[in-house]
Amino acid sequence: MKSPLIYEGTGEPTKVCAVAIRTNQEGDYASLVVSGSFDLAHAKQVAQAVEKVEEGLSRCRSIDIDLVHLERIDGTGAILLARLLDRLDVEGRKTRVADNQNPEAARLIALYRERRTERMPPKPSGRNPAARVGAFASEMLGGGTVALDFIGRCAASLTKVIASPKSVDWRSLPRLIQEIGADALLVTSAANLLVGVIIGFLGVSQLGRFGAVAFVPELVVVAHFRELGPLVTAIVVAGRSGAGLASEIATMKVTEEIDALRSLGFDPVRWLVVPRCLALVVTMPLLTWVGDLLALVGGLAATTAITNMTFHAYVQATLDDVTAGNLFAGLIKSPFLALAIGLVACGQGLLTHGGAAAVGGRTTTAVVQAIFCVIVISAVFTFFFALIGV
Amino acid sequence: MPRSKDHIIVEELRIGWGTKVLIEHVTFNVERGTVFTILGGSGCGKSTLLRYLIGLEKPLAGRINIAEVGEPHHYEGMPPFGVLFQSGGLFSSMTLAENLALPLAAWTPIRGQTMRKLIQAKLDLVGLGLFADHLPGEISGGMKKRAGIARALMLDANLLFFDEPSAGLDPISAVELDQLILTLSQDLGITVVIVTHELSSIFLVADDCILLDKQAKGIVAHGDPRKLRDESRIPFVHNFLTRSSPIGGANHGG
Repeated sequence: MKSPLIYEGTGEPTKVCAVAIRTNQEGDYASLVVSGSFDLAHAKQVAQAVEKVEEGLSRCRSIDIDLVHLERIDGTGAILLARLLDRLDVEGRKTRVADNQNPEAARLIALYRERRTERMPPKPSGRNPAARVGAFASEMLGGGTVALDFIGRCAASLTKVIASPKSVDWRSLPRLIQEIGADALLVTSAANLLVGVIIGFLGVSQLGRFGAVAFVPELVVVAHFRELGPLVTAIVVAGRSGAGLASEIATMKVTEEIDALRSLGFDPVRWLVVPRCLALVVTMPLLTWVGDLLALVGGLAATTAITNMTFHAYVQATLDDVTAGNLFAGLIKSPFLALAIGLVACGQGLLTHGGAAAVGGRTTTAVVQAIFCVIVISAVFTFFFALIGV
Repeated sequence: MPRSKDHIIVEELRIGWGTKVLIEHVTFNVERGTVFTILGGSGCGKSTLLRYLIGLEKPLAGRINIAEVGEPHHYEGMPPFGVLFQSGGLFSSMTLAENLALPLAAWTPIRGQTMRKLIQAKLDLVGLGLFADHLPGEISGGMKKRAGIARALMLDANLLFFDEPSAGLDPISAVELDQLILTLSQDLGITVVIVTHELSSIFLVADDCILLDKQAKGIVAHGDPRKLRDESRIPFVHNFLTRSSPIGGANHGG
């Protein structure tokens, strides 16, 4: 075993260290004696020693590296030495590795010097804020075009579905209805029940100030049936089933399943998107309807708990207000909200490129966009109903 | 019906995304009943070219014409060719038997007992007879690939596209696959287009090949792979087909 050498950077033997490069300088000739462990464990010391020794070589025209005292070298050490030699070569200095004493190390360094490609010009990063705003705007425009193109393709595929019903994966429909509808019932019901309770409390605290607690049942019915029922249900479904659908289709895209489907002569829009949207359109109104009923229960519980309104009186007032108009003004929205969730989730899934990370990204985008679309569509309906006085 | 000698004609094809051109001026013919291979280093656009040949993408310029099909990206209906994808492309929610049944159910009136017999026979052909009821997630990568081949054979098309069929297969399965490809092309007259870089397999099965290069952005050699190996004067072609490295002389890489 070689004894550990005790030199540091510039040449004088000062203190004990595992890694050292000693410089013997004679005029414009220098010999670098490398010693110690040039490996991953000592990468930091090696890098420092290389940097230090490089500073002292500014006047040298010809440089030799002596590897005879090297105790250990691995890829990391070899790369650092190879890059030092590369830099010296680029500056026009003559370098030579004395390889007769330690041919293995010399070969390793030579390997890293040979297999080096010229670096690509770095990508423009850290653009100025104006450029970033511009890029964002142009991407948004592109995104809008893609969305319209997808909606158009879905609409065009509907006629083909009627012409050849076999091109739709009908067999998956029961499973999808189970997953999107039945399995979501618990969470949408809980959300609607609690929203009913919230409206009840809010109604009591606000209307109570005018002694109008008797109008709380009507508030619950109107607020929930017409607005909050469809909206709350849609937001829960967008978060739950929207994410599920988007990630399922995105995964199918990255594992070449969508390509395989197309190569077998199936249109992914018809085969995958149509049954998923259909399952959503069928189940969402049902979930909303169940949610409406539970919101009434929530409102009843809240009101009868904190006021002296009787159970009977609350039920009677509610029954007077549950009109077909109130019920259908809400339920009519549900299929549209469901369609929006389905199209956004499936569309985002089909846009996926890349690997696992892309699946996660697309799923997030799908949920965010689906929830946003749901709120916008809901608001448009409300505005429209207000205009026509329904 | 008179059948032309060429099964696929590609003229001046340019492929890429938007303004970024991956390869261009791609021109070649694939003769009926031959085994044609598309060769090239990693990332040179071999698999992408295959996506264009099977009609998944629309060319930026140029034309692809498949006999009796026309331009593949305009084609609709019963798939005129079988495709094996790099990872198999099996539907993960279906068993192997269901995967194989899908094209039959969609495009043929075959059902019931006959369908089961056909599926079993194709699975037996690729050595997966005992795995009909397994899901793709329950079998190995090489087995998925073989199941993908079985599915590609399901409609008995006269044209097959295989994307790296022998990558990830054990040596015995790889040889069996080569023999299967030879049987398909020589005995049944099926045209087979293979994307690969398995040299042993290329020299055994391929009648014709093109070699793509990333730097040249196109075809650098075209012809019988054995002749190209022995006669090509282009260093890249020679190195590729003789497994030698441009760095440090021949047989350096290994």
